[in-house]
Amino acid sequence: MPQPLTIEKSKNNPEVIFNKEENIFKISGRSIVEDPNKFYMPIYEWLEAYIADPNPETEFKFDLEYFNSSSARQVMKLIMLLEKLHIAGKKVKVVWLFEQGDEMSQERGQEIKAVSKLPFDIIEYESDDFDL
Amino acid sequence: MTAETVYEFFQVLERDKISFTYRGSFSNTALAMATELIKNNMDEEHSKLRNKLSFLMIESFQNIARYADGEDFDEPTEESDFFMTRNVGKAFYIISANLIDNDKIAQVKEKLDRVNTSDKKELNDLYKTVLTNKQINEKGGAGLGFIEMVRKTKGKLPYAFVKINDERSIFFMQIKLESEEVDENAPAKSDENDVKIDDAQKIHKLVSSERVLMMHKGSFSQEAVAPVLRMVEDNMHSMKLKMQKKVYHFLVEILQNISKHGYVVDNEREGIFMIGIRNGRFEIGTGNYIDNTKTENLKSQIDLVNSMSLEELNEMYRKYLREGRITESGSAGLGLIDLARETDEKLNYRFIPLNDKYSFFSLTVKL
Repeated sequence: MPQPLTIEKSKNNPEVIFNKEENIFKISGRSIVEDPNKFYMPIYEWLEAYIADPNPETEFKFDLEYFNSSSARQVMKLIMLLEKLHIAGKKVKVVWLFEQGDEMSQERGQEIKAVSKLPFDIIEYESDDFDL
Repeated sequence: MTAETVYEFFQVLERDKISFTYRGSFSNTALAMATELIKNNMDEEHSKLRNKLSFLMIESFQNIARYADGEDFDEPTEESDFFMTRNVGKAFYIISANLIDNDKIAQVKEKLDRVNTSDKKELNDLYKTVLTNKQINEKGGAGLGFIEMVRKTKGKLPYAFVKINDERSIFFMQIKLESEEVDENAPAKSDENDVKIDDAQKIHKLVSSERVLMMHKGSFSQEAVAPVLRMVEDNMHSMKLKMQKKVYHFLVEILQNISKHGYVVDNEREGIFMIGIRNGRFEIGTGNYIDNTKTENLKSQIDLVNSMSLEELNEMYRKYLREGRITESGSAGLGLIDLARETDEKLNYRFIPLNDKYSFFSLTVKL
């Protein structure tokens, strides 16, 4: 069982909670990191190890209020990694969450859904005020 | 605002190591962010000045807020209050500009002339008199602010009244703060590098006619410009969430671009950033130095995204999402594609060669 991966959120990076035992995989907050390669490397590596020995079902949650264009590519890389699970016949789904009224996050989710090859739900939830 | 405008600003502020102008909502958040922005930009050599500068920025900024109409506005008109902080040479300057009723000018002038002609002892006496005097005007001013300012600057408070019409004028005032200790008893020396108040008037005119809400020139790193984002947000409360996020998105991409790709001169990644609003549309401009060997490539990337339709841009964006960017000619970065597809106008840019090493690159977008 791999150690859970937890990254606290900051002004520039999202919160990451990957816990195989509890079957939680979630990235939430804002991703405007200046060096996305560096930030996403351990996340990618953790996920790579996970897909070698996955849970029977994986629900991967994104709740990103905002991400810059270089983070978009990193998000896509994670999704493409999950596609390997899908191809291997495992149950895997992406859940893209966005706050009520946040059309931009919704549209960005739809765009990523359009280029991904995974079951992909886009779900609106009631929100507090948008806080930059 | 065009790429030309950005260059014009850059030239006007050529001597400014740090420069910040503001014409938005004079709220506490904006004030906090303005002081943070300047602090983040200050070198170690000026560190002793930090507290004093913050104090005077607060005093000056709140003065503007106190006398402002108090109306909540989305778009400042051409004649509006103005705040500026700049670092030229060893000195920092804080400039405030307020709209003032013409019939109140004499009263303000009298107070200023009094503090400007008093010596240290007289100022202390004056301070005590005003403190204990009951003659406090309804705005809570009573001239204490002026006394405090002049005591902290150890100099004079240059001022100017510029008439707008028969009813109102703009009241300019400049506070100077030097990093070197000045002998308090020595006569004020005339410094060639000194920044005169009419310089601030020129800048005020420029930001007003270009409808610039906020302008910042200085060193660009993500940490340094973080307060800029907060300040812009503070001016967008009444806007739709989608617009807020769009503006935010643009700012992040464009500011990160400077802090990533800007050419480093004298250990600084210098740049200029401005955001304006005209007829309900945001205009964002940036300028920075760029390595001459990189201009051709950047130019062709911008030309490419400018020539593409929205569908083509979306297609290219999605392709790069999956495949990553192929760094060959005939492609553009995700950031540029993203900027181009969020605006219905072309990206406006200019390259101005400055020497054999680097050029000045400016870019404006409309939202």
